[in-house]
Amino acid sequence: MKVKLWGTRGSIPAPGPETIRYGGNTSCVGVTLSDGSVLALDAGTGIRCLGLALPDEPSRLHILLTHLHLDHIQGLVFFAPAFRPQTEIVIWGPASPEASLRDRIARYISAPLSPVEVRELPCDVSFRHCPESEWEIGPARIRSASVSHRGPTLGYRIDDGDSSFAYIPDHEPALGADLDQLEDDWISGFALAKDASLLLHDGQYSDAEYPNHVGWGHSATSHALSFARRTGAERTVLFHHDPLHSDEFLAGLGKEAKQRWSEMGGDPAAIELAEERSEYELPVRASRPVATA
Amino acid sequence: MSFVTQRPLELILARNLMSALSTPAFLVDEGGLLVFYNEAAGLLLGKRFEELGTVGPQEWGSLFGPFDESGEPIPYDDLPIVKAVRAGRPAHAEMTVRSTDGSSHDVEVSAFPILTAHGSQGAIAVFWPSLAGANGNGAGPA
Repeated sequence: MKVKLWGTRGSIPAPGPETIRYGGNTSCVGVTLSDGSVLALDAGTGIRCLGLALPDEPSRLHILLTHLHLDHIQGLVFFAPAFRPQTEIVIWGPASPEASLRDRIARYISAPLSPVEVRELPCDVSFRHCPESEWEIGPARIRSASVSHRGPTLGYRIDDGDSSFAYIPDHEPALGADLDQLEDDWISGFALAKDASLLLHDGQYSDAEYPNHVGWGHSATSHALSFARRTGAERTVLFHHDPLHSDEFLAGLGKEAKQRWSEMGGDPAAIELAEERSEYELPVRASRPVATA
Repeated sequence: MSFVTQRPLELILARNLMSALSTPAFLVDEGGLLVFYNEAAGLLLGKRFEELGTVGPQEWGSLFGPFDESGEPIPYDDLPIVKAVRAGRPAHAEMTVRSTDGSSHDVEVSAFPILTAHGSQGAIAVFWPSLAGANGNGAGPA
């Protein structure tokens, strides 16, 4: 399984000379499964470049949306495969009691916000609510779970062979909770990230910034590190950078995160900040049992 | 591979909220298992949740009562929190609960279900000091 980061920014695109290293596109991650098929996790502005990198041939693509905030769907109408009649796209996302996934996405892909309507997309597009149980896409087993954020929001876990990838880009598990004290099964997102080969997790705010953003649905650095430690993820990448954070600021935050991880007893090489276009190849490893709570 | 099991997010958020309240409150899961009560409820009952842990419906009934106005134990099926879980509707009742030190407290209990896109996930019961209670030592903010 290969993971490529096409958009690492949260909230709003932040292009410019001060964000070249970590990137300015909003959330999108491409996952290439062991059979060569590609999944897109979220459809922020980063999905535009993912679409341009995909071959122009008949294909079936799956897009897994964590939630429908604009920074996670804004790139949908600029995703080139959506304009190819030979492409089938399945969009997965959270259910809501208010309206179907299609209807909620159509609020964005419709006038006056969009020049095209969902029904006008040339591709064969369908919308599915994520099931409660695990399901399969190609060789991968997918699991979603509701996580602590504003509005219906999912995190995902993808298992392919012996590798596992957990994606929880918008997450505030420490809201009203002490992550160092809670039992495992009372931590939002815990089951998704448990012993994952790679964890991409919300790290939007520094610890100094967080007190002014409590309840906004995002994590401080220390919360992300505590979550990573509790779940036992092998490698953690802090994601969903605040649009105000420059490369210089993020480089400093990354050093601080490594230092703190080391003080927590971890390998500093196992913690890093997400950089746009970074790629991770998850190794095939010997299977090991996962404890059930 | 088997996945680690986890509480529904709605229960997690309910527990987090209850932890910050000074009003005594209980949380049960969809099966009626008492999965959490907050510090204020611990003060009322004389035992912290961490000391008790998760307990089944029959056990917590025998630990704390509750009793009706004539001192008779209230059947499990008639408790507001049980009604809320089973019927998916709010329920309210007056009752007396017993603390581990032997004292009793007259309370009013409001219970409401936790309904989600995936159905009922449990219920919350909040204890209010009884205005009409004979004991005059109802549940109050801790």
